[in-house]
Amino acid sequence: MTPGGYFFGVCAVVAVLGALATISARNPIRGAMGLLATIVGIAGMYVQLSAQFLAAIQLIVYAGAVVVLFVFVIMLLGPDAHGADGGKRPGSWARWIAAPLVSVLLLGGAVLLARVSTPQRFRAAPPGHGTIEAVGGDVFGRALVPFELSTALLIVAAVGAIAIARSRATKPSERPASVGATRRLFGGAIHPRDARTVDDEVAR
Amino acid sequence: MNLLFGLSPFLAVGVGALLLMLAEAFGKPNVAPGVETTDAGAGRAGELALGAAVILVIGAVLSVAVWVAGPESLPELTQVAPHLVIDKFTLFFSFTLCVGGALAALLAGGYLPEHGIDRSEFFPLLLLSTVGAMALSAAGDLLTLFVALETMSLGVYSLIGLRRGSPRAAEAALKYFLLGSFAAAIMLFGLALLYGATGHTDLAGIGAAVRSIGSPGSTVSAGKILISLVLVLVGLAFKVSAVPFHQWTPDAYEGAPTPAATYMAVAVKSAAFAVLLRVLLVGFGDERLASWGAGWPPALAVLAVLSMTVANLVAGRQESVKRMLAYSSIAHAGYALVGVVAAMRSPEAVSAVAFYLLAYTVSTAGAFGALILCGSRGAEAVSYEDLAGVGKRHPAAALAFSLFLFSLAGLPPTAGFFGKLYVFRTAIDSGLYTLAILGLVNSVIGAYYYLRVMVYLYMREPAPGAPRAVTMRSGFVATALVAAAIFVLLLGMAPGFTLDMASGAALTAR
Amino acid sequence: MSELVQVYLPMFLVFAVGAAIVAVFWLGGHYLGPKNPNPEKLQPYECGNDSDGARGVRMSVKFYLTAILFVVFDIEAVFIYPWAVLFKGLGWTGFLTMLAFIAALLVALAYCWKKGALEWES
Repeated sequence: MTPGGYFFGVCAVVAVLGALATISARNPIRGAMGLLATIVGIAGMYVQLSAQFLAAIQLIVYAGAVVVLFVFVIMLLGPDAHGADGGKRPGSWARWIAAPLVSVLLLGGAVLLARVSTPQRFRAAPPGHGTIEAVGGDVFGRALVPFELSTALLIVAAVGAIAIARSRATKPSERPASVGATRRLFGGAIHPRDARTVDDEVAR
Repeated sequence: MNLLFGLSPFLAVGVGALLLMLAEAFGKPNVAPGVETTDAGAGRAGELALGAAVILVIGAVLSVAVWVAGPESLPELTQVAPHLVIDKFTLFFSFTLCVGGALAALLAGGYLPEHGIDRSEFFPLLLLSTVGAMALSAAGDLLTLFVALETMSLGVYSLIGLRRGSPRAAEAALKYFLLGSFAAAIMLFGLALLYGATGHTDLAGIGAAVRSIGSPGSTVSAGKILISLVLVLVGLAFKVSAVPFHQWTPDAYEGAPTPAATYMAVAVKSAAFAVLLRVLLVGFGDERLASWGAGWPPALAVLAVLSMTVANLVAGRQESVKRMLAYSSIAHAGYALVGVVAAMRSPEAVSAVAFYLLAYTVSTAGAFGALILCGSRGAEAVSYEDLAGVGKRHPAAALAFSLFLFSLAGLPPTAGFFGKLYVFRTAIDSGLYTLAILGLVNSVIGAYYYLRVMVYLYMREPAPGAPRAVTMRSGFVATALVAAAIFVLLLGMAPGFTLDMASGAALTAR
Repeated sequence: MSELVQVYLPMFLVFAVGAAIVAVFWLGGHYLGPKNPNPEKLQPYECGNDSDGARGVRMSVKFYLTAILFVVFDIEAVFIYPWAVLFKGLGWTGFLTMLAFIAALLVALAYCWKKGALEWES
């Protein structure tokens, strides 16, 4: 085996084991760490596919920032957000029967495809293809419009996060007692069909 | 200069969104004396709604202006192609999207203060999401397509979740977000496969590569193309909420603030149809794929029939008017899909779908607006019973509601009638008789639940002792309803002009 | 392909050695350290009643907001990096492009600031 083959093997094993840990870990923090391993493994593959800049970005943005975000969200939900009953959850049949079944089917399908058809190779990228100069040349040349459009994406993410997550500092103003308030006191919204109040914005 | 003019609808909405953000953040909060707030947007939903609506109307007017000037006479526009393809098809859709967004903004200007949702972020989010939707309708390249799709979707996810503290809003937002991200991931996988198989990210290049399959020397694999076609169709079927990818729709519409549901129903759906048409006709426009024997038309035909039938059957059994309107939007996706199937044979079908979506946009926005008008703080009109007797208590609201329901049901002389007429006529012209007949049968079934609302509006009285919905008064909602009603009647009485514009859109989509 | 691997092999080795050192210390501590738990020792250090309720402290949602804003502006930096590398070749067009990009995100930053998203106490 060539050094490239070994390298690919190590990266693939790290990525697959990380992915398995991500979906099977009971502790969500461990799941996030598994995801981290997957991301690192895939970054290694990017290097091999001569996408060096992408590999660096993968490590900086995904491993550095996105996983941190995941960990924050897990801590946000609190340690008791998962499996507090510790026992059987409704999802366990999916975990032990359906998920392995689907995996085996997919694997079998892939093996079958590889057997019956000649493997089709995607065109290999030239070695200089993924350097920072090449990627920058593409972003600021050919792909200028999507680049400028990505500002809108970034801004909408920031504004959306503020809209969803920021707590209100407005003190509740005095409002005449409404139907909604009484309904909330005496039983609140019961059935979606029956719920005629949207007066449930909690003033914080 | 010509480039700026050609891009002006997009720039107007985009720059307008930034200005509105600044206006929201740096303004003076409008709260009662004695109330303290750190939020500069507090209590200013009205003026921000007005600002957003003005910006979107400017976007719509600029779309028309570029249309009249003729995008083909602006050679500079090829500089942004294929990332943004500014043609008559794009301009027609960006007009529709701006109108839908403006109506949603006006509705929000009345709805949010009335229901105590003091969330001024609604308006910047709405505008940014509309930028994404407009770019989506113009996307001629997979990169733009995906960035635009995500811009539009992220904005909508946040709009749904704005009502913090309401478990149903949180459920709606989470459901839409998870399923939406999943659909986007499936679609992204398809797009990546498409790039791998053809070596192109622009739809025209992909179309050429697909056409070359089978010719000597072609290395493009038909299998990969077919798989990516399926994946892309799944992702887009989710966005247009076609059965069986519709399960999120009723819950999301019901949990969302009504103006956000309006925006989802009109703008997200129209933009998704625009990109669906362009991807299918430009990227997969090869005769072998766009034929009845193989390729996408039979798959879409199944989706169309399922959407119309299932949605109409389920809609009749709903108790909540909002859920009924959600199923109605699914059924309308089915009707529009009939037109998309017909587009494989006749270019006129594209213009029929474009016209249909404009008619659907104004009718649906109007219907949601009328529903908003029938409720008030603490007593939002949700169920059919809530609407009992509104015809007597608030004749104007009931009249407007009836008009928009007529249009949704496809009765003359409204916009919806001509929309359905053109779509079904192009289907018949293309020889799709079964689809057209199924569509007509479904329209008749659909009329049942639209008319049921009118029965409650005019012929029922609220049960004694039952909480009765009190109608609200809002200049914003009234303005939106009047504007939508003018559109509905104008498109219904004199459809020729708009149809001429739409038929201009048809020629350039291919 | 293999030459690329050779270029990155030292980096890969650093990763591997780092992971190995962590694994050795971690597993070593786990297996070599003396352990003799008894009920007294396993009790939480707390007097009075047995502890009850949630095990941990729920974090504030502010962390999430901070993290996502970090991701957004981190991606901005990612775009600036190749631009800086190519700066000379791109000329005025490139400069104006990036100016528009940064200006738009500056508006977003001002928005976050004014909305109090950067404030911890509010």
